[in-house]
Amino acid sequence: MSVLDIKNVTKSFSTTKAVDDFTLSVGDGELVCLLGPSGSGKSTLLRMIGGFETPTSGHVAIDGEDVTRVPPEKRPTGMVFQSHALWTHMNVFKNLAFGLKLRRLPEAEIKRKVEAVLELVGLGGFGHRATNQLSGGQQQRVALARSLVLEPKILLLDEPFASLDQHLRERLREEVRDIQQRLKITTLFVTHGQDEALALADRIVVMRDGRTEQADRPDVVYREPATPFVAGFIGTMNLVDGTVANGTFTHSGFAVPLPAGDGAATLAVRPEALEIVSATGAGMAKIHRVTDYGTHAIVDIELPDGTRLKSMTSEARDWSHGQPIDLRPKAFAAYRDNAAIHRSN
Amino acid sequence: MSLTPATDIVGTKKSGRPIGLLLVAAPVLLVAWMIIWPIISAIGRTIWLPDEGGTESFSLETYRFFFTDQYSLNNLSVTLWTTGVCALLLVLICLPIALYLRFAKGRLAAYVQGLAIFPMFVPSIILSYAVIRVLGPNGTVDLLLNSVGLPHIRSPYLTPWGPVIGLVWDNIPLTVLILLSGLGNVSNQSIEAARDVGAGRLALLWHIILPRISNSILVAVSFTVLGIFSAFTLPYVLGPAAPEMMGPFMQRTFRDLNDPTSAITQAVITFCFCIVFGLFYVRSVAKNRTT
Repeated sequence: MSVLDIKNVTKSFSTTKAVDDFTLSVGDGELVCLLGPSGSGKSTLLRMIGGFETPTSGHVAIDGEDVTRVPPEKRPTGMVFQSHALWTHMNVFKNLAFGLKLRRLPEAEIKRKVEAVLELVGLGGFGHRATNQLSGGQQQRVALARSLVLEPKILLLDEPFASLDQHLRERLREEVRDIQQRLKITTLFVTHGQDEALALADRIVVMRDGRTEQADRPDVVYREPATPFVAGFIGTMNLVDGTVANGTFTHSGFAVPLPAGDGAATLAVRPEALEIVSATGAGMAKIHRVTDYGTHAIVDIELPDGTRLKSMTSEARDWSHGQPIDLRPKAFAAYRDNAAIHRSN
Repeated sequence: MSLTPATDIVGTKKSGRPIGLLLVAAPVLLVAWMIIWPIISAIGRTIWLPDEGGTESFSLETYRFFFTDQYSLNNLSVTLWTTGVCALLLVLICLPIALYLRFAKGRLAAYVQGLAIFPMFVPSIILSYAVIRVLGPNGTVDLLLNSVGLPHIRSPYLTPWGPVIGLVWDNIPLTVLILLSGLGNVSNQSIEAARDVGAGRLALLWHIILPRISNSILVAVSFTVLGIFSAFTLPYVLGPAAPEMMGPFMQRTFRDLNDPTSAITQAVITFCFCIVFGLFYVRSVAKNRTT
């Protein structure tokens, strides 16, 4: 059963449509990542779910109840902001207790709930601390705890780790996932980091210009991107524009059998799926650069017209600059008119 | 190519010190000469008084006179009353304006801001006459009421409320600007976070906004109190002849009664009251710096 239903929601700011006819249902306990580049409308959508923006048209329903025009203070949602947004004039305990006090809970219950949630986020015994005495990661945990202590039906996270360093971000990401699974709380997570989305989500919604490009499981979004935009946005992807004629895709000497109708097409190949072999003659392309990462190597390839592609190989020492090579895509997808026309796995 | 060491550009600690001290020395000397010395001199002139023979000796006679003279005490009390009422009214009037300007968007907010800042550009003397023309006997309000058959108003002009109206109007811009700068430090996200946990408008104001701008309120009150306590033009033109505020009282004692020692005593007493609020301001600035 879906906890959150967003139906045909549009949000316009003067002449710009930040969110355009967006529809999504989120199931109970599901963690959905809204993924997209800056300006794709993901934060605006989250703010509409939280009640901080009112949709220009469309409806938002939580547990079947229309909350489109309900103010944030009356919604069963909890939001964690990018900048933590802690109240610096209150200590950690008071930050967490504030919402409970507004709900007129007895002091003893407030204390019990706050202490329990502080333990949950790994900040047991930090209640008396001033918020400015905490590190960035601890502050974000307090912000998360502040939302969790109110036991919201939906937890909204707006790029919560954007201001943290990579190491801390990875650690907190795992902790958030653990907490979310333990509490089985429906969660929407806004991010522009594809690795974050792939690691966290039950479902990824890739957004572009306020619309859904693809909404699916992370493995499907990664392996079977619905559009060239998704293919290019999730992970590293070689996108080559070319022509299909008589069952073969060609672009500047690079030819791949493609069982599709004649016409223009875009070929998408992941670096790990683009095999390179030493050319017997002049070859389809030449090696431009080899970067050795120890566990693997990335080979930059240059086609005759200067187009660059990337291939991932296990051995860097087999390849050198200027070496002629042939390309053999092991798995690829082809797109025409923003839709997949062929997938080879 | 060689790079210039950073120390050569910014100067080393040792060589930078005399230049820094020299830069600070000019304003410090000016403050000492134009402010500190006159204060010491004024206090000295009120406690070292000449006797009948012309010999100067320590005496608190002028202070004893001030604090036993009913007229002087009435003047001090009306000054304190006017200052207190003005400070209270300014906070009550300017806080909603500043809140509106902080959170409202659009053209109307810009017009309101312009209107709130406008009194800053109006000289006090013009403001005084404007108040008289509007609220005084046979002023605009009176004429309008009269024209529709209503009775004359009891004009606040020449009552203690006259200076209050003028001083409040005159101090609105500074108070609004100080409060607005304080409200600028309250981030939108901290407001939204409070709304998210269930805070309505009143809870938001009481628990989130006011604690965050308490320092600015203190600074605004200190500034207005300092200005109003020693105000001259508005109380002189709009206020009653007696009791009068300390500003006109000092001027009249000095010029009309030709009694500079008493006038200086009044000034020292005024200064002592002001310095209390000055200390509030200094403490607030120091607290801000520490934070």
